[in-house]
Amino acid sequence: MLRNTSKLLQISNGLQNILKVQLCGRTPTPTENWDLLTAVCIERRPIITPELNKLEKEYKQLLDELELERSLKSDTELRHEADMKNLELLRKGEDIADKDTISKQTLQDLVDLWNDEASKFKPANKITEADKKNDLKSLNRKLDKHLVFVLNQKVGDKNFYILPQGAREDGETLRQTADRVLRQNVGTDVKVQIYGNAPCGFYKYKYPGDIKNETGTVGAKVFIYFARYLGGQLTQTNLDYKWLDRTELQKTLPPQYNTSVKQFLFDG
Amino acid sequence: MSLQNIISRLSRIALHGPNRVRNISTSTILQFRSTPVLLAEPLKKKKRLDPAVVRAREERKKKKIEKQIRRLEKSARTLKPIDECEVSIEIKDELGKRKRDLAALSCELLEKRVELEKQWCQYRREQHLTDIQMLDRITNAQQKALDELKKESEELYQEAIQFDFHLMPFNSKGPVETPAVEEYDAPDGDYQDISKKW
Repeated sequence: MLRNTSKLLQISNGLQNILKVQLCGRTPTPTENWDLLTAVCIERRPIITPELNKLEKEYKQLLDELELERSLKSDTELRHEADMKNLELLRKGEDIADKDTISKQTLQDLVDLWNDEASKFKPANKITEADKKNDLKSLNRKLDKHLVFVLNQKVGDKNFYILPQGAREDGETLRQTADRVLRQNVGTDVKVQIYGNAPCGFYKYKYPGDIKNETGTVGAKVFIYFARYLGGQLTQTNLDYKWLDRTELQKTLPPQYNTSVKQFLFDG
Repeated sequence: MSLQNIISRLSRIALHGPNRVRNISTSTILQFRSTPVLLAEPLKKKKRLDPAVVRAREERKKKKIEKQIRRLEKSARTLKPIDECEVSIEIKDELGKRKRDLAALSCELLEKRVELEKQWCQYRREQHLTDIQMLDRITNAQQKALDELKKESEELYQEAIQFDFHLMPFNSKGPVETPAVEEYDAPDGDYQDISKKW
């Protein structure tokens, strides 16, 4: 009996400890000082659909075949058949009751006419000038890919191509910082829409020892906002920026930074 | 003090002084009013109607309304036809004429088709799985960012999880088959609305 009660007491003590730990965890007590940065990932969505792969092409063909098999003949097809019959009769030199039908344009003539008109229309090329010149600054490149905006920026004493970023100032929410970063780095000519008030990616890095000792801050935490490119062109020519697709991004970004960025981006 | 003086003093107490001028006015104080001009003639004597005629008239009115109600109820039961879903009578008549006489498919081809269907199913399933994993990964990344933010500052975290009303009328244009031709002047057609009014 006594043993049981002592056990119960122990359990209740344990519970209290757990509760205490949880309570402590709820109120954050930052022991280390971190700089808060905000970065914005601007992404242009693909403009055209990617080319179908082999299986997709085959399946598309199958669907087309099935559709034809299950369909009934259309009015146009019926008319074509009637035309053909009439022509046959004419060739045989037989008299046809209603001559009006022959003097009219046959369907084949019409189809030729339409095809002629259609051939005059040339759709734009999927491979653009920018693709041929490999112009990384152009938004007109790799139309079937997602493109991400990277800017050459100085971090510490080195330059990197990274997402445009800036430090949070006092009194700002992170979203406001993101807006400001965009204004300062990209300007107002490019229209983008930031998706929500919450950051969608995170990256942190530590400062080298001497800075750490001087300022007392351990490093920087970068909160990355996602923004969709809507329209407009960059007018500032002195900026060193690139629009990159996923594979190029992997090559250009610093490796660890890239793994963080990759976490919140769509495949492809 | 002379008498004159006393009178002038008392005249202030009196309601109307001896030498006040009376003005004509329509204000209520003087109770002077103008009455409206009466140009009406006495009301006409009401014509007496035969009660049978009145009853007949009412009945006719009632019948008319009832007829309308009946018509509405009748049309309420029949649904508005959907042109796209209904086969027109012409096509029904010409059904035999419109049948395609295609050669029967060979066993080999059918086999191949089934194979292709299966491949397609697998392909789509894999695509679906990778999509779900991708979405998982993205939400996790965001959750991680929010958790880190919460560690830094509760206030900023609360700000970050607020709803963004700029997002709300959301529209998006999907990718298209070919890019837009620059400076293309699209030919305008005539638009005729031939949908029936119901």
